[in-house]
Parts: sequence; C-alpha cells; structure tokens
Amino acid sequence: MVALCACLVFVQACRHQNKSPDLTFAHDISPQPPRVGKVTITLNIKDASGAPVSRARLNLEGNMSHAGMAPVFAETRETAAGQYQSSMELSMAGDWNVTVHATLSDGRKLDHEFEIRGVEP
Amino acid sequence: MFFLTLMDLLRIPLVGTLLTKRHARTLLQIPVFIISAAMIFHGLFGPQLAPRNLATTVTWVHFRGALVLVLLLAGNFFCLACPFMLVRNLARKFFHPVRNWPRRLRNKWLSIGLFIAMLFLYEWLDLWASPWWTAWLIIAYFAGALLIDAVFKHATFCKFVCPIGQFNFVASTVSPFEVAVRDHDVCDRCATKDCIRGVREVEAPLVTIQRGCELALFQPRKAGNVDCTFCLDCVQACPYDNVGIISRVPAMELVPDPMRSGIGYFSKRKDLAALAIVFGFGALLNAFGMVSPIYAFEQWLAKLFHVNTEFPVLASVFALILVIEPLLLIGVATWITRVWGGSKRPWLSVAVRYSYALVPIGFGIWLAHYSFHFLTGLYTFIPVTQSAFVDFGWAILGQPHWGLSGLSPNVVQLFEFGFVTLGLLGSLSVSYSIAVTEEVVHPVRVFIPWAMLSLLMAAAAFWLLTQPMEMRGIVLGSG
Repeated sequence: MVALCACLVFVQACRHQNKSPDLTFAHDISPQPPRVGKVTITLNIKDASGAPVSRARLNLEGNMSHAGMAPVFAETRETAAGQYQSSMELSMAGDWNVTVHATLSDGRKLDHEFEIRGVEP
Repeated sequence: MFFLTLMDLLRIPLVGTLLTKRHARTLLQIPVFIISAAMIFHGLFGPQLAPRNLATTVTWVHFRGALVLVLLLAGNFFCLACPFMLVRNLARKFFHPVRNWPRRLRNKWLSIGLFIAMLFLYEWLDLWASPWWTAWLIIAYFAGALLIDAVFKHATFCKFVCPIGQFNFVASTVSPFEVAVRDHDVCDRCATKDCIRGVREVEAPLVTIQRGCELALFQPRKAGNVDCTFCLDCVQACPYDNVGIISRVPAMELVPDPMRSGIGYFSKRKDLAALAIVFGFGALLNAFGMVSPIYAFEQWLAKLFHVNTEFPVLASVFALILVIEPLLLIGVATWITRVWGGSKRPWLSVAVRYSYALVPIGFGIWLAHYSFHFLTGLYTFIPVTQSAFVDFGWAILGQPHWGLSGLSPNVVQLFEFGFVTLGLLGSLSVSYSIAVTEEVVHPVRVFIPWAMLSLLMAAAAFWLLTQPMEMRGIVLGSG
C-alpha cells in the first residue's frame, strides 16, 4: 500500500503540465444567456506585457459536466490582433467546460480552460 | 413459459462450467477490482473533468447502466463480481470476526438511510461531475466493507449496510433468474444442510472448508432474490449438486407471501416495504435531478425559504419526493382499498403489502434513466481509457478517439419509453395478482387505486423523459 502511494505521488509529479501563467485569456460568449445550438466564442489573448498574442492556432474543446457525453470541437480564426473567434455547437443544456488548446507562433503549446454556465434549453 | 421454467444457467455449457468452478467468484472479482483500482487512481490523480476521467465515466455511465441491464436480463450478477468482497475475503484470512451484528440493526432501516444519503450526496456534491469525490466514494465502499466485515460475522455489510446491495436485492425481484433448489425432494432427504451450515472438515468439525450462505438464506425455504448476492456458496456447498440459477417469471416473487428463509413474511417487513417505496420514488427523484424543471423548482424553493444555499433546498426536495409524496399517495390508495375495496386488514398492513407492487415501475424508471446514459455514452470509455494512458505519458492505446460516443438520444428515448411501459405492466400485474390472491370481496376495487398509483408514477416518468436534459453542477451556493 505504501509502495502504491509512493508510485501515485511519483506519477503525479511526472505529469506533463501545459499551463502557461504568463498569458492572459479573456473570453466572451454570445448570445447571452447562452442557449443550446451555435454560440459565438471570442477570445482575447495578451502576454505578460499586455501586448496581443497574434498568429496562434487555437482549437476549442467543449465538455459537459456529466461523463458519457462526447466532447464538441471547434476551430478559431484570428479576427484582430490577439482576438480569436469561433462558433461552437452546444448540444445540451447545462454547464460546459471549454478547453482552449493553443499553439503559439513560437511553437509553444498550452491549454486554458473556462466555463460556460447555465446553457439554457 | 415452458422455456422460462426449465432454464438453468448452471446447466449451460461454458457458462455453467465457469460459474460452478470453486474460484469462479474470485475470477470475476479480480478484473472488477483492477478496474476499480484504475478508477480510484484516475479519479484522484487524473483530469478533474468528468467526461475525461475513468472514475466518473465508468461509475456513472457504464457501471450503473450495465448493472440495471444485467438485472433486467439475468440477475444479481454484479454482487457476484463485487470487488469489495474480494478485499474483504482476503482480509478475513487475517481477521476472524467473532461479533454478531446488533439485533436492533438486523433490518433494512440503516441501509435505507444510507441509500437516501447516497442519492442526496450524488446531487449535493454533484458526484457525477467530480472524479475526486467519486474516487473517494469507491474508497469509502471498500473501507466500509472491510471495516464492518472485519468486526462482524457473516455477510453483515451486504445484508444490512451496503446501499448498492439493497438496490440490487430489490431490483433483482424483477430479474428472470434466481438461485434456487432444483429438486426439493433431494433437500427433504438431506441431513447435513451444507447449503446453510457450510462444508466442515470431517476430522475437525469446527473447520469450514466451504462456507454456506452467509446471508442466512436456507435454500429449501428460500423464495426469491431478496438478500441473495448470487455468491454461489450454496452451489459450492451442496453435496448433491442440487442448486441452480433457474429461470422464473420476473416480479412474480412479489405476489405470494410465504415464510421466506432469512427474510420472514414480506407482509410483516415494514423495513422492506419502505425500501421498495424509496426504490420506486427514488427513481423519480434521481431522474428529476437531470432535467431542466428541477432548477426552476429549486430556485423557487430558495426564494420561498429565503435561502441561497443548496443544502436546505435539496433536503426539501428529498423530503417532498421521498416522504410527503409517498405518504400521501400510498395513504390515499390504502384508504380507498379499505373503504371502497372492503379490505379488513389494518392500514399499515395494506400499505406494506401493496408497496411491493411499486418495485417493477420503479425499476422501469431506473432502467430508463441509467440505460440512457449507458447507451448514449456506450463507447466513451474507449477514448477516456486512451486518454488516461496519455495523461500519464504512456500512450500505448494511441491518441484518444473523442468522436466515439454511443447511440443517438432519439433512438435511446424509444428504449426509455419501452422500459417504463414494461415496469408499469409489471406493477399492474403484481398489484392485480396480490389483490386477486388476498382480497376475496372486491379484488378489482382493491386493484384500481394501486393501479392508479403505478399509472401516476409512469406518467411522471414519461413527463420527465420528454423534458430537456440539463447537466448543471451548481445552481445555488454549496453548503
């Protein structure tokens, strides 16, 4: 049992982390309140100095809070410097968790998460 | 019917051979234990997003769905493969409990409380959305089984404590198979009663080499599946190979009221009747938690009580659906049974006797709810398992195929309606059979109020099935 616990701690410590604290993500959802169907997600990314982060490739993955639901995916396009827009199909009412899988222009990869609460039927 | 009454699973090649092996149970428990360990590991250390975690995906989508489908199609085989008992049996090689479970707790009241507590925690802590809490729930089950059966003799945890076990015991009354005696004449001639006493060493009679039924079910007088974990100890112990897993008409064990070994009379077991009621109305409550109107109702209650925390609101919903509603509906049905149906039995006796008729409709609703998650998320364990390996830097199963989900919700909804209808027909059949068997004056008049109650529950279930689903974690503040 002790060996198992040690193994768990070791594996946990070795897990690959994709978080990047030096970037700031801001998101906006429309319509408000969000409803089942297509929603537009706008993301603004800035670096530590406040400058917009351009030419990143962002893929969005939406998951429901309940297990057993297939995730939905969406791609984004850059509409202004550091601003990215996407259209995502929310298939069910409730709370959604959106993961932004970002590949920056310098090749760095990182993930960012945010929630869309209370999507209405 | 001819087919149903003749089929014995233990006589079927391969299946029978496997199940009658001395270590058949252990063989089935080991893979379930390994899966449980993986779920705990991933729940504690994996991503805390429910659809991406094995703990939440396997527990709330696959385990529950497979459980009810196996109960519908066969019997209580999940208790047979219970991993908690694997650990407990290993521990019993070191601990030899000498205490008996306290007499005042030898009933279902404690386990009913735990069953309700489980349902409450599920909603309050949003267990379905929390891999971490789900992992701890599994750990708590292991710890509970280990601790209780390390102190108390026999299968105390299974019979008097385990909420999953109680669910299975009630649900398996509608299963098509039962562990039962093949030929009662053989039992009449048996002098050793090994099925209950166990097989003892000839030289040392205090040493048991094969235990008998730990749940106090003496095979010749056992009737039905209540309290039977399908552990097959009786099959192993019987020196005449006279115990099988035999087909029967589902739910009909709820009709007659013989003296049942290890149970007593159904009509005198208020705790068992209460379990049947909680099972039935709990099915509606659990399904209600998944649809949009619950959130508006909770908000309305919060405004009414001037509170902004979930606990008191949820407690009110539980009290309404599990206490007030059953008291009212069963009270009215009992009153009509006595006044219009002319039943001379005491109030409580009528309520207890007919409450068992709610089991099939309750099971139909559980089945509709759990099979929805199971069938719509059927293949999701594949990408989640792939992802679990990727999470820990060992992508031996390749990259996750997140596109895999399951059947379309529109298709599954047809199954859901079918299951509720099947449950309704079962409840109507049971209540009519009880009325005809016991009420000699106006059996049809006695049947009608209980049929109306089953119809009301089915109507509520159909309404729930047509509501938009809403998977929301927190509406009000926790606390």
